[in-house]
Amino acid sequence: MTELRADRPGRFSDGRSAGVRKVVVRVLATGMEIRGIDGFLIAVWKTEDLRADGDWPEMKGVRLRCASEPDARLAVEDAYFIKDALPKVDEPRRRRIGLILGALLGAGVLAGLVLSLPMASRLAASLVPAGMERDWGRNIAAGFESQLRVCEGKAGRQALEGLIARLAEGLPADRRSITLHVIDRPDVNALALPGGDVILFAGLIAKADSPDEIAGVLGHELTHIGRRHVSAAMIRGMGVGVIATLITGDASGLVASGIGAALAGAYSRDDEAEADRGGMDLLERAGIGSDGMITFFRRLEDMEGKPGMLTQWLGTHPEAGARAAAIAALRRPAPHLPSMDESQWRSVKAICSKSPP
Amino acid sequence: MSEPQSPRPFTQSGGTLAMIRVALVNLGLSMVTLSLWRFWGRTRVRRLLWGGVSAWGDPVEYTGTGKELFMGFLMVLVVIYLPLALGFGWAQTLTAAGDPRGPLVISLLYFVTILLVAAGLYRARRYQMSRTRWRGIRGGQTGSALGYAARSLLVWLLLPLSLGWAWPWGEMMLARYRFNHTTFGDHPLSCDAHAGGLYGRFALVWLSGLGFLLIAGFAVWVAADAASIGQMDETVATGLVVVILLMVSVIVLALPWAWYRAGFYRRLAGGLSFQGARFAADFRTARLIRLVVGNMLISLFSLGILRPWAALRTFRYACSAIQVEGVPDFDAIHQNTETGPKAGEGLISVLDGAGEF
Repeated sequence: MTELRADRPGRFSDGRSAGVRKVVVRVLATGMEIRGIDGFLIAVWKTEDLRADGDWPEMKGVRLRCASEPDARLAVEDAYFIKDALPKVDEPRRRRIGLILGALLGAGVLAGLVLSLPMASRLAASLVPAGMERDWGRNIAAGFESQLRVCEGKAGRQALEGLIARLAEGLPADRRSITLHVIDRPDVNALALPGGDVILFAGLIAKADSPDEIAGVLGHELTHIGRRHVSAAMIRGMGVGVIATLITGDASGLVASGIGAALAGAYSRDDEAEADRGGMDLLERAGIGSDGMITFFRRLEDMEGKPGMLTQWLGTHPEAGARAAAIAALRRPAPHLPSMDESQWRSVKAICSKSPP
Repeated sequence: MSEPQSPRPFTQSGGTLAMIRVALVNLGLSMVTLSLWRFWGRTRVRRLLWGGVSAWGDPVEYTGTGKELFMGFLMVLVVIYLPLALGFGWAQTLTAAGDPRGPLVISLLYFVTILLVAAGLYRARRYQMSRTRWRGIRGGQTGSALGYAARSLLVWLLLPLSLGWAWPWGEMMLARYRFNHTTFGDHPLSCDAHAGGLYGRFALVWLSGLGFLLIAGFAVWVAADAASIGQMDETVATGLVVVILLMVSVIVLALPWAWYRAGFYRRLAGGLSFQGARFAADFRTARLIRLVVGNMLISLFSLGILRPWAALRTFRYACSAIQVEGVPDFDAIHQNTETGPKAGEGLISVLDGAGEF
């Protein structure tokens, strides 16, 4: 114990200026006194306030701090023994475990976010004002129409619009106003835009063998509109971006867009399956039946096998075969009402010809 | 007069093995936490980097925390990233709709993003300086992040206009702004370095760049010629050109550039002074090349995992090269009342995820 009470030379910075001065440190039972070499008392540090601050290798000493003077720094020569007198702090270890637990918790929260994202984005989509959604969809449709040729066969349009009105009966009241756009492109595809615009490509009409098949596609797209899938997908895409940025810390794009594309694909498959089922409901309400939808999916599946065919529907509506099987399992009673009559169907087929019949 | 001081008051005595250990532990923890550990990991690396440095016999400390980095990141994610993502999304739908405002908004947003990156770099420096202490006294970074961003923008605009000749001036102007606004305690550093004497070295860089372009053009022409008359296979010719150009670029581009960089850092250090002490540094071209090539190899072969080791090498080299004539009057430097930003570096960690360490 006598050694503990001996005076030790040291270096001291008071935390008010950047100067350093030589001091003499005397260890007492309750703490330590720091005096100038002239013996003038500079500070008294209590044992319970002392904090270890690493080693002072050159002088075989230790560095110390004091909780009541956090800016001051003290280094004491030949004083490794002081370490034993310091209050035992197991804080770092406990804090480290806390940090690791916290980070694991954070990872859990992230995983939860990924799982709840589809629901959350649908909820958010239902909060988007209908007028805003409508404007947005109209803008996109106007973009298509300004850059591509629009099919204007009058009778064909009337037949399709009549069919759409019949199917839309099954949608919520505020989502029934649908605008149809027929675009003269060979793509076998149809698009639902946010709000209430549907785009049909001529290629799809050409590939369809019966009006019931077109009705199936329309039922599918109308369900997308009724359930605001496009807005939800936009919001989801943003959420995926945020989560990917959280994980990678990289908003500059590469990683985020990769993860985004992967997640978006997984999520959109759910949307497509839901639109298939919803489309069947719409068909049934309109009394059309789902055989047309099933045969059309089967045809798409055959096209998947043939190389070189322009089948964009498959890019945006993947796994036609599996989906045909899924709806076939839900197959409803045989059709009792035709979706349109023969002359209407002929005018639909001719909707894009330059001189309408 | 006081006793003669060493003209090289800085040393970095941190061990390579300790740093590699921290880097590997960080890698493991980052993997189990979906990378959320990175904020705390980066903090641990900085503690080692800063803590290994001692100046005039006293150690430097890094007092930042992982929590501060994490909070800064979250804040920027919500306040900056989400609005930007929304803006880009909106502009893309405008573009898709053929609206001429779309591309305009996109270029405007790119412009804002670039400004934010520059401002973020400055803010990150402000955070790091405010978390740096020596003898208990805080460092700091005054000045305006947006002002710095505006100056950076000016340099980027002048670069193409001057065919690159604005670079030494611009680079030095920005460095001067950074250092003139760097403080220790209540006193700023002062930097009067100018690019005037650097233009000789830069001319060599510029001319060798031009020469390289000519060589590259000639090599491509010869190879294309050889391939067209069937002397050489086309892929072989392409590969040969790439290999030859890579080897030539080491001599023609990298050597003059390293010579310029060494000159730049030497001038920058020579222009620094603090409280009556003048800085200098004997950065040498060969040492610089060794440092940079070594760091590149370390980062490359460890897939970036051992970047902390590369940073340690940089710290070591800088400490060994910096000289200070005279000792600043440290007794006259008092604690900085500014405690710095509460959260750290969000802007730059979101917009440029690939942080240094």
